[in-house]
Amino acid sequence: MDPLNVAVIVKLEPDFSEGNVSYNPDGTLNRAETKNILGPHSAIATSAAFYAKVKYGAKISIGTMGPPTAESMLQQAQLISDADELYLYSDRIFAGADTLATAEVLKSGVLKMQGKMDIVFSGHRASDGETGQTGPQTAWKLGMTFLGHVIDYEINPETRMIRAKRLIRLQGIYDVIEETEAPLPVFIAIDPSYKPKFNTVSQRLAYEKYQNEARQRVANFKQYLKVLNAAQLEADPKLIGISGSPTIVYKVERIPKGKAARQAEIIDGADQEQIRKVVARLRQSLSTMVIK
Amino acid sequence: MTEGDYRHIYVVVEHEEEKLLQVSLEMLGEARRILDDFNKKYSSKEKVVAILLGYNIKDISNILIQHGADAVVYADNLELRYVRNTIYTKTISHIASDRDVAAKIEQEYAAQFKRPRYMFFAADSIGRHLSATVLAHLESGLASDINKLVVGDLQITHQNKTGGKPLIYEKTLEMYRPDFSGFLWTTILCLDNRNPAMQKDYHPQACSMIPGVFDIIQPDPTREGKVIEYSPKFDEQDLKVKIVDRKIIKSEIDFDSYKAIVSFGRGVKDSPEQNIKMIEELASEIDAQIGITLPLSKKPFSVSQTVDSTYLIPDRVIGTSGRKVSPKLYIAIGISGAMQHIAGMKDSEFVIAINPDENSLMKDECDVFIKGRMEDVVPLLIEEIRKQNQVVQAKVT
Repeated sequence: MDPLNVAVIVKLEPDFSEGNVSYNPDGTLNRAETKNILGPHSAIATSAAFYAKVKYGAKISIGTMGPPTAESMLQQAQLISDADELYLYSDRIFAGADTLATAEVLKSGVLKMQGKMDIVFSGHRASDGETGQTGPQTAWKLGMTFLGHVIDYEINPETRMIRAKRLIRLQGIYDVIEETEAPLPVFIAIDPSYKPKFNTVSQRLAYEKYQNEARQRVANFKQYLKVLNAAQLEADPKLIGISGSPTIVYKVERIPKGKAARQAEIIDGADQEQIRKVVARLRQSLSTMVIK
Repeated sequence: MTEGDYRHIYVVVEHEEEKLLQVSLEMLGEARRILDDFNKKYSSKEKVVAILLGYNIKDISNILIQHGADAVVYADNLELRYVRNTIYTKTISHIASDRDVAAKIEQEYAAQFKRPRYMFFAADSIGRHLSATVLAHLESGLASDINKLVVGDLQITHQNKTGGKPLIYEKTLEMYRPDFSGFLWTTILCLDNRNPAMQKDYHPQACSMIPGVFDIIQPDPTREGKVIEYSPKFDEQDLKVKIVDRKIIKSEIDFDSYKAIVSFGRGVKDSPEQNIKMIEELASEIDAQIGITLPLSKKPFSVSQTVDSTYLIPDRVIGTSGRKVSPKLYIAIGISGAMQHIAGMKDSEFVIAINPDENSLMKDECDVFIKGRMEDVVPLLIEEIRKQNQVVQAKVT
């Protein structure tokens, strides 16, 4: 029985954590000043792949499309997952790609990874672009069954079937947990609420073993890294970069300030008397309830 | 591209167990408004077409027509009872490129019909992914999370699209999308490549629309429309993906049964751990549920594991990326007032904001604006609430 072959596609994103993120005076993101890191959703996707390593001894390959500086982000991802191979797809021709053209590069990238993939993971969405389109579009181009919002999964290595739980939020109605069974290969966009659980002693031992291995590997992460340009990916130039992008950004503007929806009474937060009045109004607004 | 290649707005509607989701009617309302203007401006007769997939769903067609659809194309099949990405993507894509279907919608031009002109999806758990895979299949462009749409004739000069020459793109859908910060609006266009060196048509121009943004039109029971059946064919392989169980759960965070909501944003940053504890205390005094803004769900602070996993979670987000609430009392603490957040709380009855910056957008969205640092104001509020509660209790006893 072949070991499971698992890939993760990840993205370099602005670090939104306090102290690292920088905003312009008008409230927009200052991209030049803000550090870039492995995106939080990418990190969750990476930990979902690590689960497959601990539980099923999967081989892990991680790929990203990005500038040469994205290398260190792959190193971060390797530390999480003890990845066996790292791929950076980097070429100036990729610049300006929309989601469809990005998906084309990632598809070519996954096809260049060693062996045929059983599962490809992606994050739920990027923290900066936030479209959530690149994962499913890559899945479609790869011809893989797409499972989104996955919060938990188990694989039967004998039958090569996956059972995945998905969290579907139906706004204004309720949430649904759906359990899906599908033959491999599948493409999984992992839900932000996913948390890997390692229950048995042997899983915890494997977890420790791979974590130690990961720490050793990241010290020499370049030895696991392959950098591929468009030609090496054999990507169709008509389908990538700006040329392959159906959409363009026509304009970016500040969202105009609408008419004031309410006329606020402004009070000084240090004025005890005024605070007293506010609390009286606050209590009145809740007057139909019993306040503890 | 010749006249008739691309026509109509196709709207992919969503329902749960034969009950239409609100956003479906919102999309139809916006499609109706856009197309009424469009048909007048261009002396055209294009249609709003609803695509409806499911099992035992034919009866919903009438509701769709009453809310603005000129035609409903439905596929009724047990296999389509719940959304499975592959078969849904293929069925929708086939409907969107089928000339027989196009001929039933409108005989004229059906022989040339290639694709819809525009295509709308919901920006929710289902529509986001479906739109992505359908447009990957149709090889055209998609803008996500749109909150405004305009049709215009635009002059475009673009290195790739026009070979650097100015060209007029008629009937172009301007798709406005608020960015993650809530301060910038990006307009996305999906344009054919008319550069002779690399000509390629990109249609439909498609988007996913934020639920709760667009207005539903008044249903008109006398409206007439065509109801068209489409019989889907499935690949055996695709049916091996099976839904084996389905459980309805309540959201982890319940906002609806609370009369008060206390929300916080990036303003907690000076000492997040203590500030969140303090907000917790305030909320407990008035029996309020606690909400957050979207940036907080990206976990920008290092706080204890408990605080992190209790509060900085997507389930608590109020706004377009989270929940829409309308409590009797809404207290916004350290929230700047980004459009996305406002959209989620604007229907609250009484709104108090606590913020040191009088110029923050939040000021225009509240009834009382308490100017000051939360570290100073919130303890005062808590103290005063306790005091006044005691008075009441004293009176009662």
